[in-house]
Amino acid sequence: MRLNKIILSFVSALVILFSTSVASLAKVVGDKIILGAAISLTGKYSSNGVHTQNGYNMAVDRINSMGGVKVGGKTYKFDIIYYDDESNPKRAAQLAERLISQDGVEFMLGPYSSGLTKAIAPVTEKYGVPMVEANGASRSLFTKGYKYLFAVLAPANLYLDVAIETAVELNGGKPVRIAQAFEQDAFSQDVRLGILDAAERTGSKIIIDDKLPKELNDMAATLVKVKQMKPDVLVVSGHTKGALTAIRQIAEMKVDVPMLAMTHCDAAKLSKQHGKNSQYALCASQWHKSLTYKDDFFKDGMTYAADFEKEFGYDPPYQSAESSAALLVFKDAFERANSFDQKKVRDALAATNMQTFYGNIKFAPGGQNVDKPMVLFQVMCDASGSCENKVVAPLKWASAKLIHPIPKWSER
Amino acid sequence: MNKNFILYAVILIFGLAAPFLFPAFKVQLSILCVLIVLATTWNIQGGEMGYNSFGNILFYGLGMYLCASVQVGMFFPLAEWTESGGEKTFVHTPTQFFQGMAVGLVVAAIVPTIVAGLIGYSILGLRGHYFAICTLGLGVAAGEISGGIEIIGAGQGFTTPPFPNVGSLEARGEFFYFLSFFTLVLTFIAVRSIYSTRFKLILNAIRDNEDKAEAMGIETMKYKIIGWMISAFFCGLAGGIMGGLVGYIDSTDVAFDGREMGVFMVLMAILGGKGTLWGPIIGATIFHIFKEGFWTFFLGWQYVALGVLIVVIVIYFPEGIMGWLREKYPERFGEVVDEKDRKAQVELK
Repeated sequence: MRLNKIILSFVSALVILFSTSVASLAKVVGDKIILGAAISLTGKYSSNGVHTQNGYNMAVDRINSMGGVKVGGKTYKFDIIYYDDESNPKRAAQLAERLISQDGVEFMLGPYSSGLTKAIAPVTEKYGVPMVEANGASRSLFTKGYKYLFAVLAPANLYLDVAIETAVELNGGKPVRIAQAFEQDAFSQDVRLGILDAAERTGSKIIIDDKLPKELNDMAATLVKVKQMKPDVLVVSGHTKGALTAIRQIAEMKVDVPMLAMTHCDAAKLSKQHGKNSQYALCASQWHKSLTYKDDFFKDGMTYAADFEKEFGYDPPYQSAESSAALLVFKDAFERANSFDQKKVRDALAATNMQTFYGNIKFAPGGQNVDKPMVLFQVMCDASGSCENKVVAPLKWASAKLIHPIPKWSER
Repeated sequence: MNKNFILYAVILIFGLAAPFLFPAFKVQLSILCVLIVLATTWNIQGGEMGYNSFGNILFYGLGMYLCASVQVGMFFPLAEWTESGGEKTFVHTPTQFFQGMAVGLVVAAIVPTIVAGLIGYSILGLRGHYFAICTLGLGVAAGEISGGIEIIGAGQGFTTPPFPNVGSLEARGEFFYFLSFFTLVLTFIAVRSIYSTRFKLILNAIRDNEDKAEAMGIETMKYKIIGWMISAFFCGLAGGIMGGLVGYIDSTDVAFDGREMGVFMVLMAILGGKGTLWGPIIGATIFHIFKEGFWTFFLGWQYVALGVLIVVIVIYFPEGIMGWLREKYPERFGEVVDEKDRKAQVELK
């Protein structure tokens, strides 16, 4: 049996291959603090993955060029190891394991989306690796008792309940009829739960409650129902693709609805891609450049947006802003801990209480940021057809008045 | 026989020592074991029986959900565990975790087997492309349906119980590695012994000419179903392990992942050489190393490389690596080659 020889040599080749490829990096090399991140560079979340990565890179460059991180009297610079998780939770969990056990990373940044964060959190938790994440908003992340997970953003159930409350208010305090369609993923389903809560609170009725598939590119069935049943509010959430699909088909089918509330409008660059068709859409956002928060690195939202545009060529969506904020949080925690001990850094993170250009950051015991409200903006276009996102709620930051109800297509 | 024994002993020792030799690669090695199990069991249909099934992912996903559900449901209310807004935190003690896992894996193996029997009875009458397309639909449908079932987390996904704290950080990796390696060994022994019986010949007869096989008095349907049930048993087991290993189950991206796992298992078997015992094993190993390598060193190009690999296989190694070796060195595979006959054939050409 020569076959055996073939297989034996194959096995030994394997041994050699594996043993030569073990190269371990440490978390702090020389003057570098190496953070690890699995990011969706390909797959269904790739556009938001890139927003996230740009946000991280922007903050790394800024912090490094402004003196870096001072720990124990020495100055360190940030560096990030990226892997592509292909928008797949299985892959993300594997990569977290790899970053920690093979690359020796001791501090992590989050991936894009709740689903992937859910897959990574058990791994970082097991190894006691502090992770500051900026893009996992699902409420279930914060009820699992994770001790090393910190999210700079407000949980997903808070995204759109303001919209429902506003609708009720504009309806003279009377309950409204809600139509909703959500993608089948962790984040959107959590937004849905938020709407259910808000509906119950205000006595509103949900008349359409559809689930949309992942890789969302058609929701005509829901819109036909909306046309028939004429709800007061239509709520849609399904990441970037969901926002694009909704606007495209609402315009195509000329669906009239008094209020249209969505997520991910800025990440989808709706006002650029769909122009006037996206007008009047109401969008939940973690951040908007017109907010008046301040910090030493990016000054304020407007400056951040201008710098970001200069570097990457587009207006920063909130996904980028919150990702940049994650690094500011890490920097602050390292300096307060004055150490690279994971436990000490974790405790410092838990005690975070700071303001960044993105908003105030203070973590609840579950790890979510409780000090930063959501904002709602509306896409508004001028006569020339150029559109802009303007904050309409909460009133404290509002730069424009909410236009309600949305004019009918026949009158536009 | 003696040489075979040495070979198996070497592989077994290598397998047992692997997590200690390459401690940083435990997760990749565990996944490799799972991939080999999937490729080997797919080969029962695709290779030996000639039925290209894209539906084996159904059993894998089913096993994954079942194992996790049983593991949670045995000790805590499942609905509260998967509820997104739930305020309660449940923690498994080590005994609960391992007991749950053991029972979960048994269920994860048995239920898909029964399901395979039931589904097989209704769709194994289809042949060729019709069977392939029908099974493709099974996986997709299962993914969409499970994404709507609230008690297993629906679109929110299902976080499997975290590994209990049993001292060392390495325990989790080692546990899952040995679990998957043990499953691999079990699968190999089972498949190898099946392949040495008349059963394999019947499967081959079905592949070569099903009508003739039937005319010879073989109850082909019975054997087709049994073959599929065997695959389902090990796929379910592999799924259960993978669920625990990944720690998070998503209906379409992790469990009923027809687009990746479902295609990979076919690809691996074809790469190594379908219709052989060792083909899927070699195929899965090369595939895994190839993909991981590209992932590490040429980020962003891994799928391009994968595409090129598939093209190269189809053009240059249509029979897979084992098939190619067999054609090149038939005598090494214990095939007797009649020199006169070969010469005669060459002259004919």
